[in-house]
Amino acid sequence: MKADQLLEKNEKSLRELLFNSSDFKFSDFETGNRRYRLFYLETMIESATVQDHIIRPLLTNVNGSVREAVSILDYSETDLLLDASKALVEGKTVVQINGEAKLYLLGTELVKERSINIPMNERVLRGSHEALNENINTNLNMMRKLIETPDLVIKFFQVGRRSNTKVAILYLNSLVNEVVLAEFERRVAKIDIDYIEAPNFLQELIEKKNFTLFPKILVTERPDRINSYLMDGKIAILTDGSPDCLILPVSFWAFFQSPDDYQIGWLIGSAIRLLRILSFILAFSLPGIYVALVTFDPRIVPFEIALTLQSSMQYIALPPVLEAIAMLLILEILREATVRLPSPIAQTIGVVGGIVIGTVVVQANLISNMMVIVVALTGIASFNIPSYEMSSAARMLTYPFIIMASMFGLIGLEISFILLLTHLSRLDTMGIPYFYSWFTADTIKDTLFRFPIRSLKKRPFESMAKEATRIKDPRG
Amino acid sequence: MIHLKKISINQLICLVILTQVGVSVLSIPYAESRRSGYDSWMSILIGGILAQVVIMIIYQLGKRYPDQSVQQYVFTILGKPLGSIFNLIFALYCAQSSVMVVISYSDVLNRWVLFQTPFFVLIGISLVVAAYIASSTLRSISTITQSILSMFLICAVIIFISGMGKGDWRNFMPIGTHGIGSILKDSIPAFWAYAGYELLLYVFPFVKCNKKKDILIAMSIANGLTTFFYLLITIIVTYNFSENQLNTVTEPMVYILRKFRWPVVQSLDILFMTLWLSITTVTVYVYLFLSARYFAYVGRKEIRKHPLIVWIIAIICFAIGIWFSDRQYIFKFSDYHNKVTMVMIAVPTILLLISYVREKVARA
Repeated sequence: MKADQLLEKNEKSLRELLFNSSDFKFSDFETGNRRYRLFYLETMIESATVQDHIIRPLLTNVNGSVREAVSILDYSETDLLLDASKALVEGKTVVQINGEAKLYLLGTELVKERSINIPMNERVLRGSHEALNENINTNLNMMRKLIETPDLVIKFFQVGRRSNTKVAILYLNSLVNEVVLAEFERRVAKIDIDYIEAPNFLQELIEKKNFTLFPKILVTERPDRINSYLMDGKIAILTDGSPDCLILPVSFWAFFQSPDDYQIGWLIGSAIRLLRILSFILAFSLPGIYVALVTFDPRIVPFEIALTLQSSMQYIALPPVLEAIAMLLILEILREATVRLPSPIAQTIGVVGGIVIGTVVVQANLISNMMVIVVALTGIASFNIPSYEMSSAARMLTYPFIIMASMFGLIGLEISFILLLTHLSRLDTMGIPYFYSWFTADTIKDTLFRFPIRSLKKRPFESMAKEATRIKDPRG
Repeated sequence: MIHLKKISINQLICLVILTQVGVSVLSIPYAESRRSGYDSWMSILIGGILAQVVIMIIYQLGKRYPDQSVQQYVFTILGKPLGSIFNLIFALYCAQSSVMVVISYSDVLNRWVLFQTPFFVLIGISLVVAAYIASSTLRSISTITQSILSMFLICAVIIFISGMGKGDWRNFMPIGTHGIGSILKDSIPAFWAYAGYELLLYVFPFVKCNKKKDILIAMSIANGLTTFFYLLITIIVTYNFSENQLNTVTEPMVYILRKFRWPVVQSLDILFMTLWLSITTVTVYVYLFLSARYFAYVGRKEIRKHPLIVWIIAIICFAIGIWFSDRQYIFKFSDYHNKVTMVMIAVPTILLLISYVREKVARA
């Protein structure tokens, strides 16, 4: 629909296009022989900007054009009412001069955002303490400031038929693998949904096979971490309204890396990395190992330890499998209860859970001492994994491991372990294998260990960067 | 989409070592010392050299058709009907090998670790795991194998530590008294233990390498490592047991492991046999995978439903495997299987000769 010359007619049409929204307002003013009308959504505009940069200059500049008068960067003209209505929703002010069938769209949007905070979920000891916030422009600004090169490409997509959510993808043009990028853009373009909620909607919609416990896309809120992944040739995805950034393609091992590893000496970094992977293995296998040892193969443990085990289990009626599953479930219930409660009450839960359940359950001879130790260790080990998604996966894996262990003992554990490896090896992200063995000269450097920076010469395999070498002559 | 089909040299080495090494580790050198006694380590060595010769033959064959695997080029060498028969026979042979490994290791587990578990359950879970792995792509299989290699290393360390206990170096003396003839005769059962390099027949075109020669080097390294590993076990066993003891102990390695006491692990043999399950699983799934690939080429056209074929073969293997709950049949089956292996080894040689002759005829 074309704009009319008459202000009143346009006002009526715009009101219809916005379905009589109550926040749609207009205001008139006159200078000389011109009559102006400003249309805007009062909830969306920054009134100081409108007053200082639109109304005041227009009042003083009697005969010049609007373009010359207003001091606003985001300026465009249109004669379509539909465009004007879209602009209004974005927070622009639409100006019209009576008798002219032309609309001036001026950017005056009000930006309310949280200030840049310390990361809540990914704390580190050394390194930057900035986290992303909900405003995509602020986030992009932070990224641009970290990577000051024209090589950093930012592309916008609109996802969501109704919500028109702004999604930005970032990559370094000289590094990113074009096949992966094209595949990713194809998948994003194909998303047809009314609205998306970042980050998980995107994550699930672009992955083909979802039948897995393991996270295939890394979620982070740290600009420095995004930076390091971009430098590996990966793609980062920012969504408006979400402080989480998606990184892809990543491998299984990325979920065990923390920015801290690289900020500390490589020997200690390697030790911590190894500890984390050990924690992961413990988190899904320790209850299983315990069940296998006490029910199937007590022959393996030395006699003295077997005696200790036996004395702790003497008066327990439940079979170890049920003990383990019950205790793990209690742990999960406590964890879930503390996540969503306000922190003062959460402490109470800690006391009730830790002291009451932990000790009384043993005193009542419902569950053995050893089992409480095993489950507590399992729980703490699972929290040692930097990625929340990965630690949830580890905790879920515990149950099949316990059941297999109760059926086939250590053999059952071995079989579950092989099946787990197989499942991992069969996964792929964007057509790139998700899991690769830690056991080759190239991959061991940044998986099980964190070798000295100067020996990490290659970018990780899964990013398939155009330029695989990162360090050329480290000693100069 | 990026699809990586090729495997690296590193992965080839892992695949070959772990396919070669299998159940026989526990029984070495019982079968190999029937005639050669404490000189069996020489038989093992000669067996490794024989395996190396066959690897050379397979390599020569592969080099003549660098872009195809044996299932495809066998048709150019033998023609249509014979090629199909060749594929069918090799498919059956590979399926038979996996059954052989599954039942013999299930038997070991049934006797040493899981006494109460029914035999068919053990066979069932071994085959389910193997079939699930074999239904993946070659690349996934290689990744899994690479990961399992670390368990192999743990096992090797366990063997090495436990073998260095009380023993007597004089068990080896005097070297070579059993005579060349008996040593050579015993190298034949040793040679059976090395089976697994046939993998190269299929895998040759899928290896990522700069020069084709790298494949031969990788194969030789793998075979060399296997030979070294077998030799190590033989030496450890001979160091621990005299010839008289060897004649009565059929699974010497188990006894050596059981004898050794760690402060944290009381019976190392159970731990070892549990970990070793993953290594025998490699052999099973590689043969299942190969079997399915051979079957795919039996007909006129390649059958593309690889996972389906794998599962069908696995079910058939399971049905056959149930019959071996009586141990006597396992020995008979093992004898029969060894003989078939000898015949199968001759086939690549014949193929190579025919392809030479064909080339000569074509030139003339």
